[in-house]
Amino acid sequence: MKVCNTKKATIKRGLILDPRTKMLFLITITTFALGGAGGERTTYTVPVLCMFPFFLLLTARRVKTAFIGVALYWGVNILMTFGNAIYLTGVLYFLVLGSCGILGRFLPVIMMGRYLMESTTVSEFTAAMQKMKISEKIIIPLSVMFRFFPTVFDEANSINSAMRMRGIGLGGKHFTKMIEYRMVPLMACCVNIGDELSAAALTRGLGGTVKRTNICKIGFHIQDFIAIGICVIPWILLIMDVLKW
Amino acid sequence: MVNIENVSFSYQNSNEASVHNVSLSIKKGESVLLCGESGCGKTTLIRMINGLIPHFYEGEMSGKVLLGEDEKCQMDVSDSELYDIARNVGSVFQNPRSQFFCVDSTSELAFGPENMGLPEEEILSRIDKTVAEMKIEDLVDRDIFAMSGGEKQKLACASVDTLSPEIFALDEPSSNLSLEAIEELKNTLLKWKKAGKTIVVAEHRLYWLKDICDRVVCLKDGRITFDMPMAEFIKLQEDELRKYGLRSVKENLDFTPVDDMENIEETIVLENYKYNYDGYDALDIDRLEVPKNEVIAIVGPNGAGKSTFSKCLCGLMKKFKGYMTVDGHRYKNRDMLKNTYMVMQDVNHQLFCETVREEVSLGMDEEDDAKIDEILEKFGLKEYGERHPMSLSGGQKQRVAVASAILSNKEILIFDEPTSGLDFYNMERVAELIRSLKNEKTVFVVTHDPDLVRRCANVVICFENGAVRREEN
Repeated sequence: MKVCNTKKATIKRGLILDPRTKMLFLITITTFALGGAGGERTTYTVPVLCMFPFFLLLTARRVKTAFIGVALYWGVNILMTFGNAIYLTGVLYFLVLGSCGILGRFLPVIMMGRYLMESTTVSEFTAAMQKMKISEKIIIPLSVMFRFFPTVFDEANSINSAMRMRGIGLGGKHFTKMIEYRMVPLMACCVNIGDELSAAALTRGLGGTVKRTNICKIGFHIQDFIAIGICVIPWILLIMDVLKW
Repeated sequence: MVNIENVSFSYQNSNEASVHNVSLSIKKGESVLLCGESGCGKTTLIRMINGLIPHFYEGEMSGKVLLGEDEKCQMDVSDSELYDIARNVGSVFQNPRSQFFCVDSTSELAFGPENMGLPEEEILSRIDKTVAEMKIEDLVDRDIFAMSGGEKQKLACASVDTLSPEIFALDEPSSNLSLEAIEELKNTLLKWKKAGKTIVVAEHRLYWLKDICDRVVCLKDGRITFDMPMAEFIKLQEDELRKYGLRSVKENLDFTPVDDMENIEETIVLENYKYNYDGYDALDIDRLEVPKNEVIAIVGPNGAGKSTFSKCLCGLMKKFKGYMTVDGHRYKNRDMLKNTYMVMQDVNHQLFCETVREEVSLGMDEEDDAKIDEILEKFGLKEYGERHPMSLSGGQKQRVAVASAILSNKEILIFDEPTSGLDFYNMERVAELIRSLKNEKTVFVVTHDPDLVRRCANVVICFENGAVRREEN
């Protein structure tokens, strides 16, 4: 019997950026879009900055996610701006304003985080951290976390299937217990897998005293410089704002 | 090469010692098979060789485990650090899902040498050498999460190979593999053997190791029961093997069931069973007719579409368009979800409640104590009614899952590899459980285990590339 033809899945990387650039992007977006730093001066740069995560998702061929994200972002912003004009008043206005405000601020950050997680491999991430001269004591737990997320999603998926087969779900009679039912097996599975993962990593020499090497080639290219350039603009504006130029 | 001297060990939180005063000496280049019933202590021995005991799994240990050829500079496992042991001992574990540290295959191959701090060129040349020797060019630069179990296990072996240790310690490496994948694993081990490496394997399935191992050590309750050359071991009769709870050495790899099908009266018809992931056809079946209330085994290589088939059957695939006809009723996705139940390979995914009783009654329309008692009695779970399901043994958890499916009136049950990693007796118990469902429920068993198929199935359907390969019967 021939070995079956398996799905040849390489990782969808999209535009190749250095992990450090991605982290800078994430920090920039968090500061300006979520934190709202910079006040008046950055008003016009923030929406532009917020479009980049969606653009990056597009290059990684996450077309659906990117379009839904863009539509949501602008939809929310338009509602925020013209809420008054369409005579929304009272509690309704309050609700719309609140939820739109939260969504509009969090969405770009979540998307950027997601892109960072999906497009960066564990070894690229550790290589970047090493180049930034961060201690191994911080790198190892962080890289374990990086590795652990997809596993948790995997487990959660299986548990979700199991719940659907048992008729536990929205509208089912056990609706109130949904969270408990999901958490109990998830915890149990994650503890097991975490243990097995650590055991496997330790038997392959993780945590030694020698300095780890990394075969991963990371470095700055033209696209990184462009991206960094874009990130720098709001920071300059922020500094100008603080110095009251 | 490996000297185990009067070693005893008991895990923390356990009153009983899992290994009692065991001594074992393994020469350089020797391949040793450790076998015995579940819980006999073979995994503990493997963990002592690779240093996870006492460095990772805590407990009380006495005795010594020494590694290395030269008498003078032998390495005492309990005094050495794990990363030093890692240079000498390579480990492969049972579960292919949880032995990867990276998400892409090339970094995984580099992971061990990177930890040793080897220079980059050296690492790259080691990877090239391993890839060429193990013929795994197709596994390079892949997303590990999208690999089949067989591929993952092959990659696990390869990433140990890049460290080129002298000793290989394998803990039930074939548990989750199809017959085809086991064949490839066997080739890898033969390659190591040829290179003069020392191999220690703990296993339940023995047949594939008869050309690899020179020596067989059988354990029971933490003590060695026999230690004999393979040439003698293969002469043991079946009933002698059973005495030790072992599976056959000359495993019959034939999937033909023992009891033939009686004349079928009712059938279930599956139509339009087609599914694809991003343009890749995982499943492509026009029409399939199976007998109702019988046991149907689904076999085939890793990645042939068996899991996709069972998920579609359960109604778990949202895009799935096929349907099933039972007693003239046509079931689509939603109805299938209501009428089918899958006993997953990792049963921990499907136990939600605080007590066994609550668990089994979860899907019932109205609680009926008499009925619950009857089912618990039938599955030997009566005294565990108030226990937490997670505190039970693997086999008991499986029975809880089956009991809950029966009490929620599911018509069709699917078992996903119910016997992976089980010894002879436990496998037989599962077979018995499945047989007991016959004539009441239609049972699908997705499995790689010919022993199980022969013991419980009436019909065997073999999958290949997402389609059914026609069998003679």
